[in-house]
Amino acid sequence: MDLDDDIPTLIEHDDQALPIPDHPATAHRVPCTIISGFLGAGKSTLLRRILTERHGYRIAVIMNEFGDTSSIEAKAINISSADDPTAEKSQELLELANGCLCCSIKDAGVAAIEKLMQRKGAFDHILLETTGLADPGPIASMFWLNEEYAAGLAREIVLDGVVCVVDAVFGEQQMEEDHSVDGIGESLRQIACSDVILLNKVDLVSEEKLCSVEEQIQKVNPSAPIHRTIRGQIDIAHIMNIDAYAGGTRGLRSAQPHLDDGNCHDHTGNAISAKHYELRGISSLQVTVPIVTRHRLGKLDEWIRTVLWENRIPDNVPERGPSELKILRCKGLFVMESGEQYVLQGVNSMYDLSLLEGDVAGIPDSGKLVLIGKGLDESVRQSLERLLN
Amino acid sequence: MSSATVLCQSTNCPHGNPPSRLECPTCNKLGIRGSFFCGQDCFKGNCEYKTHKIIHDLARPPATALNPAQDGTYNPFVNFNYTGTLRPVYPLSPIREVPAHIARPDYALDGVPVAEMKRAGQPPRILNAEEIEKMKFACKLGREVLDIAAAMLRPGVTTDEIDAVVHQATIERNAYPSPLNYRNFPKSLCTSINETICHGIPDSRKLQEGDIINLDISLYHDGFHSDLNATYPVGEIDEDSKKLIQTTRRCLDEAINICKPGALFRDIGKVIEPIARTNGCAVVRTYTGHGINDLFHTAPNIPHYAKNKAVGTMKPGMCFTIEPMINLGSNWDLLHWQDNWTATTVDGKRSAQFEETLLITETGVEILTAGKSTDV
Repeated sequence: MDLDDDIPTLIEHDDQALPIPDHPATAHRVPCTIISGFLGAGKSTLLRRILTERHGYRIAVIMNEFGDTSSIEAKAINISSADDPTAEKSQELLELANGCLCCSIKDAGVAAIEKLMQRKGAFDHILLETTGLADPGPIASMFWLNEEYAAGLAREIVLDGVVCVVDAVFGEQQMEEDHSVDGIGESLRQIACSDVILLNKVDLVSEEKLCSVEEQIQKVNPSAPIHRTIRGQIDIAHIMNIDAYAGGTRGLRSAQPHLDDGNCHDHTGNAISAKHYELRGISSLQVTVPIVTRHRLGKLDEWIRTVLWENRIPDNVPERGPSELKILRCKGLFVMESGEQYVLQGVNSMYDLSLLEGDVAGIPDSGKLVLIGKGLDESVRQSLERLLN
Repeated sequence: MSSATVLCQSTNCPHGNPPSRLECPTCNKLGIRGSFFCGQDCFKGNCEYKTHKIIHDLARPPATALNPAQDGTYNPFVNFNYTGTLRPVYPLSPIREVPAHIARPDYALDGVPVAEMKRAGQPPRILNAEEIEKMKFACKLGREVLDIAAAMLRPGVTTDEIDAVVHQATIERNAYPSPLNYRNFPKSLCTSINETICHGIPDSRKLQEGDIINLDISLYHDGFHSDLNATYPVGEIDEDSKKLIQTTRRCLDEAINICKPGALFRDIGKVIEPIARTNGCAVVRTYTGHGINDLFHTAPNIPHYAKNKAVGTMKPGMCFTIEPMINLGSNWDLLHWQDNWTATTVDGKRSAQFEETLLITETGVEILTAGKSTDV
């Protein structure tokens, strides 16, 4: 068997150098935007438009129900690239690694996308469509958590934000009438979790109706900008790189509502110090937070984690009604005496409170806390006020 | 590299080592560069070839399933880009049997931990007094089995032999070896050698002087799992490996020190990472500590790295593991072998781990799997 025992004949060397093995490309940050939307609101139209438009980006569009880990198995993924805009042809299958996930926090679906990127080269952006019924919260938290251990090996997927497409014609009705899961209507969950809202089919309804639906959306989610669209036509800059989780302070810098379209000014009371609103179990609470000391910030952090993790307010006041407290989305900007600013981001029970780094454009004279969820009644507001004053 | 100027490599060339373009064909095939000799006589002469051919073995593709080595062993993934020098040595021994009278977890038959998947996303369980007693007993058995396995460690022992002993010791205690068929893991413990971070599969590789090896024991007794592991030297090990093992143990011990009712799971990593970094090591991120009770792996998730968003507060009656995996150097990332289990460092540097199963008590923490030598 061992041929080495026979002394072989020397051969002439040819000059070809051995190939140098490929090294992984340098780290590349790939933002992932989750697209949710009401049934029939025009999500697919929007995604098809993005896939076929000549925008010069290499975008992976994952169009399917991404509700849980198992459903992504062997699902198709569409890649739109700058050189081939007719990308619906370039379908890829996501490959799921089996095993190996015991006590691993890595989600199988995310791992499959990373694997695809290793195979096909990194994308500039990932757009992930959820079903009309899915709650984008758990999916967003999964991608957000993944950031903690995705860096390295050129495959850093970061959560960019959640976009919700709302039907201008039926949206209001859907919000009022759809199925409720755990006491919260499914379309309202989507609005609650969104960082940007596209109000689609605006050409089919009156201005009055538009104002009414916008007002309703804004009461549920006071911090998400609303863009009016027709057949999903939107500058993709509004839905990509919105940076809603990576210390982004959009929607937090001013106390004003964020309609980009100035037609309906009069519906929200300005100078909001604290207000809340409830529609079919979902409510939002927006509170102005005065300049805080380090000690106060610590207290605020404790308050937030009690509310988010234990679903209760720390000072269990007896007058609190029976309604359960559950936060779907929270955002905040807190200004310290030192001028340092802290950004709060949270989805479901997961949150992050971190120092705002880099170029800070001016120091606001107060901070802000926005909570969206269930059971955000007067007792919650009072509890916060006791803490802050 | 340009080739024309390479001199005859013979150690006793009669022609004074002139430049040559004649190359050893075996080296050429294996991709070893620079094996030039001035002529066939020089190549052949004075036993030159006998000493030269040793380098072929170093670079030769290892035995394969179709072409096993003389002892019948082979590397199942010959073309895999291994990051270090460790290789799997197959074939694996047949699946070991568990006597019928021993109660099994739900995944024992088909590998799917159904109950774990069903309870995903729920808050950590608080155990009652009776459950805590069962948990304690399972943990005590786990420690016994780990100590038995550790006593076997010496050069020449294969990890499969350790697996046989661990399997036997576990079933003798009327317990089921939790790793066996968990998500189709083929053996009764994990053995992670040198650059292996975790989940190494016991095989026919003989331990070598200077290796470090982690033995990870989990067992299921009377409805509850225990989970513990430790990293051991095989014979004399180098200074870096000693420091790595000491650092990793310290990471675990200091992390356990902060555990008590009201402490936050997210703070565990804030204790561990600075210790690792100061000692020139990196903390693995992809694998975490976990809740453990009637389920092998459950809530909470406990990252060992500093900047994390882990949810939850420790409460009396919760059981969980802390199990930092610490790599020498600054690379925390890992690469899985094609067996889909063995997780190795990406740079081939060594990795160590220690793990205990903990119980939060009314006043602090109890190390349920504590050994005699563990003083925290």
